[in-house]
Amino acid sequence: MSKNINVALIGNPNTGKTSVFNQLTGLKQKVGNYPGITVEKKEGICKLPRGVKAHILDLPGTYSLNTTSLDESVAVELLLNKNDKNYPDVAVVISDVENLKRNLLLFTQIKDLRIPAILVINMADRMSRKGISLDVAAMEKKLDAKIALVSTRKGNGIDRLKELIADYKSLSTSPNIDTTRIAPDYFGRLQKAFPNEDLYKLWLVITQDVNFMPIEKKRIEDVTSFSTKSKDELKKLQHKETVLRYQFINNALKETYKVDFLAAKGLRASIDKVLTHKVFGYLIFFAILLLIFQAIFEWSSYPQDIIDEQFSMAAEWIKNTLPPGVLTDLLAEGILAGIGGIVIFVPQIAFLFLFISLLEESGYMSRVVFLMDRLMRPFGLSGKSVVPLISGTACAIPAVMATRTIENWKERLITILVTPFTTCSARLPVYLILIALVIPEGSILGVSYQALTLMLLYLIGFGMAIFSAMVLNKILKIKSRGLFMVEMPTYRLPLIKNVAYTVLEKTKSFVFGAGKIILAISIVLWFLGSNGFSDDFHDAEQIVNTRIEEEGLSTYSKNYIQNNINTYEQALATDYAGLTSEAVQDSIQIRTQDLMERAKAQEIASYKLEHSYIGYAGKAFEPLVRPLGYDWKIGIAVLTSFAAREVFVGTLATIYSVGSDEEETIKNRMAAELGPMGKPLFNLASGISLMLFYAFAMQCMSTLAVVKRETNSWKWPLYQLAFMSIFAYLVAMVAYQILS
Amino acid sequence: MELQQLMVYIIVALAVGYLVWKFLLPKSMLFGKKKGSKSCGQDNCGCG
Repeated sequence: MSKNINVALIGNPNTGKTSVFNQLTGLKQKVGNYPGITVEKKEGICKLPRGVKAHILDLPGTYSLNTTSLDESVAVELLLNKNDKNYPDVAVVISDVENLKRNLLLFTQIKDLRIPAILVINMADRMSRKGISLDVAAMEKKLDAKIALVSTRKGNGIDRLKELIADYKSLSTSPNIDTTRIAPDYFGRLQKAFPNEDLYKLWLVITQDVNFMPIEKKRIEDVTSFSTKSKDELKKLQHKETVLRYQFINNALKETYKVDFLAAKGLRASIDKVLTHKVFGYLIFFAILLLIFQAIFEWSSYPQDIIDEQFSMAAEWIKNTLPPGVLTDLLAEGILAGIGGIVIFVPQIAFLFLFISLLEESGYMSRVVFLMDRLMRPFGLSGKSVVPLISGTACAIPAVMATRTIENWKERLITILVTPFTTCSARLPVYLILIALVIPEGSILGVSYQALTLMLLYLIGFGMAIFSAMVLNKILKIKSRGLFMVEMPTYRLPLIKNVAYTVLEKTKSFVFGAGKIILAISIVLWFLGSNGFSDDFHDAEQIVNTRIEEEGLSTYSKNYIQNNINTYEQALATDYAGLTSEAVQDSIQIRTQDLMERAKAQEIASYKLEHSYIGYAGKAFEPLVRPLGYDWKIGIAVLTSFAAREVFVGTLATIYSVGSDEEETIKNRMAAELGPMGKPLFNLASGISLMLFYAFAMQCMSTLAVVKRETNSWKWPLYQLAFMSIFAYLVAMVAYQILS
Repeated sequence: MELQQLMVYIIVALAVGYLVWKFLLPKSMLFGKKKGSKSCGQDNCGCG
């Protein structure tokens, strides 16, 4: 008969817990070479030998059971609560072979809770390179525990680990340290007051700073026969406990763990010296950022052009192949246009995550965190705030959750409030299309203006986050202290498998996560743009035809036809030089006729759109966005993208497609749009204004919800929404008024 | 009513329904608030 057991994976940050979890369960949780990836517990199932089925829990990293941050408390909360349905039958403590001494502190604490524990020494493949030698059998004896030497990169040692877990009943539950040695008198009284309780568990409940076990604490405080000590006295006893533990660990490692420090430190120390240098460190980071933005613009333009053309051709094919009718129009102008507006950005999103993943995997990201700590301190943040801020380039939601690694509440709150300023991937499509429209091509020192603009927008977002943090640091009157500690992982060659997986997952979640919303909004917008209640909408064809008969085509249409004919004439002169003048004239006449028909159809479509439901809604909203340089169509796009920024481009793509029979790309359609003065609507002033609006505006309902959850109050997300929206509006307005 | 028109109405109704479910229903906005979930770890966090 099969048996179900609970297995908890616990360990210091960045020891490879999630990699072990993935190897055991066959799942594919995100892993990285910097601490703080896992901030919530994750679960999976693993089949073990002898019919044992294990429910595996991957817990956030913690340095010890004396927790200081919210993510760390997840592990302690579980280990101290025997009534929890996930309370482990066995704890698998993951350690890193290079930092074994420090990792063992947590292991001895778990052993002292009398939970059957297995020590996994991960990254064993690096032992010889780092000059490390281990006597596993002797170490097992000293620690009174079973050890599995594992390399998750090479997939070694997992079978032995499974064997050990399946055989968990044979594991020793004797403690490593006699708790009473910390303070014999104090612990004697404690044990007397609670004779049936585990002494070390009681001690942990008393000393936790984290306020997650108020009931347990109160139970101890209410007992009259035992009075607990002051906070300072308890801290002193905690220090004494740590000293006792390290004495035990040093003794255990003395004969069993040897390191040739020369082999271990040489190259890594030299690289660290350069990458974290107070001048070169920043220059290198800046150069890497430049490379990333250049790649996003230059390398991805080829696949992007292909995608754009394919979507235009597909829309054309649908119109020509399917029977004419409203459903065909919805497919071609609504659904395909909206989805095409997002899929086109897949290459750029993929490049962004390729670079971020390479930086994480190589171990460089932790150096960036360290480097940034110096910059962050004066603004009320710590280096740990950099991880959420960098994660924010993907999405603010996991980034806000990543703030749980920050011990200091004030720093954590400030980081939560400013993280949405960093440029997330949803802003990227908005920036990319606007930059392509309003920033001229050309380059300086081999870096294109467009790439530089994009980088500038990222820096503006980051700069605004820092500036807001500084202001909040002055305004918020919350007293708290915190220390900055970051793991410096070893440099390693990124695993292609991990990088490819991250790129694939992030791109997929962007396309499908945003895609569903965009598809739904595109359908609704198309419907609102294709229907109307007024006579102007229903008689649009007759009204426009009468106007054209009386006044001729609009100036825009005339210019459009003239420019097109000029280009056509030039093409005829160069490509068909042998044609007679009569043939040329005939050809031009046919072309002109065709263009006039198209222009007429376009004017009718434009008139209909203006008098459709969405046209009226847009016109009503227009006065609010007019000072920012936007017309009613952009106003609608801003409004619909309130829920999610990426909807902006999809909305414009749909609006500009309604009634359009031409096979044109989104960019061309937007470039051809004219403002009230007959100038392009998307010009430098309105383009910059829009980019700045999106750089600062909140425009993401999911982020608001997650901020509410993390701060346990609507107060902070509402402040955040109000401040960011008003600030974005004002900055966009000032930018437009100055530039126009 | 012709078939294409009918299908368009159905698709639009589904799209509106999805957006309402996604953004307007309190359940989805609050991520299904769990009983006893710990949102804050510090006693000085000001969330009490």
